[in-house]
Amino acid sequence: MKNNADIRQRRDRMIAGLLRWGTWFASMLIAMGMLIGVAGYWDDAPGYGKQVAVAGIAVFILLPVMRVGLMLVMFLRERDYAYAVISSSVLAIILASSLIGLWWN
Amino acid sequence: MEAQRPRMSEISILLLFAAAFGASALGGVLGMASGIFIVPILTLFFGLDIRIAIAASIVSVIACSCASAAPFLKAGLTNIRLAIVLETATAMGALTGVFFIGLIPESYLYGLFAVILAVSARQMLARRREKTITSEPDPRSWAALLRLHSDFPDKTPGRSLAYQVGHVPLGLILMYGAGLLSALLGIGSGVLKIPAMDAALRLPIKVSSATSNFMIGVTASASAVAYFISGDIDVDIAAPVALGSVLGAFAGARLLLRIPAERLRLFFVLVLSLLAIQMLMSSVGIELPGGLS
Repeated sequence: MKNNADIRQRRDRMIAGLLRWGTWFASMLIAMGMLIGVAGYWDDAPGYGKQVAVAGIAVFILLPVMRVGLMLVMFLRERDYAYAVISSSVLAIILASSLIGLWWN
Repeated sequence: MEAQRPRMSEISILLLFAAAFGASALGGVLGMASGIFIVPILTLFFGLDIRIAIAASIVSVIACSCASAAPFLKAGLTNIRLAIVLETATAMGALTGVFFIGLIPESYLYGLFAVILAVSARQMLARRREKTITSEPDPRSWAALLRLHSDFPDKTPGRSLAYQVGHVPLGLILMYGAGLLSALLGIGSGVLKIPAMDAALRLPIKVSSATSNFMIGVTASASAVAYFISGDIDVDIAAPVALGSVLGAFAGARLLLRIPAERLRLFFVLVLSLLAIQMLMSSVGIELPGGLS
């Protein structure tokens, strides 16, 4: 039987890993997009770099949402249902906000 | 002039990148988010529309939160239970913010920003004091029911210091306000988070910094998804600003030990005050002469 401190450390490390790799991935996409975009003025590739950079920005915006999703899964696996409900409600609020974004659009 | 366009664009991308890098690196030394500097920089010096500046800034707030979260988590300083509880309030605040932002005139946004800058300057001048709770835990408090009390590693390896979490309902109310401000102004809302963490929740400062940094990513995402979907995020601005902020945050963490924080603190008080005055002038329609673009 593992003790609580071990479970907490494992959980913290998994979340840290997601955020660290996500940050790298998003930053690389943005950097690549910017480089392609600058090169695109000479090349005939208008808009392609922009799309890559937009993807990087989207990854950044979704990263904390994925982090909440990961926490939801963790709480469910620990049968910590109160916290699973709390995590789900955060996700629901973010979903509501994206609906407002659609409505503006 | 077709030939001049790429050069102009490269220069402005480089300037945006450098400005975000500098703000984030210096902010990182004092443990404050760079978000509060990004919007004034973009509006006052780059002459951008405040709504575009806010949308770009919110992306960099998320990026900085994600980039700096891992070391805090590994050090065992982040209270993730407390974070998710408070995120219900900050996300609700952000949802309220995105609902109302379209109705708020730009001059009000400048004015509100000026107020926040002034309060931040005042806050930076005052020292943060730890007011941790030492009495017996009340088993019927929100914090006890939500199992929020925790501990963090002591300086001596293998030992940990237990702490209690204070007034959760008051913390939630302040965090709702922080989420609202974050969505309206594209900032991390340290202004409200610091009193919430210190005065209401009574956290040790290390735990407070780690947890609020962790939370702000989700708070900012809650408004950024709306800005992103509605097409308010201008990638030409947001991309260099986000990248500059992330790299600046890494550099700031390295610089932490080399710059005398006291002198930097006074410098920031001055900068925040000057920006507050400029934003106030913008809100009543006086423009800074000679913007860069």
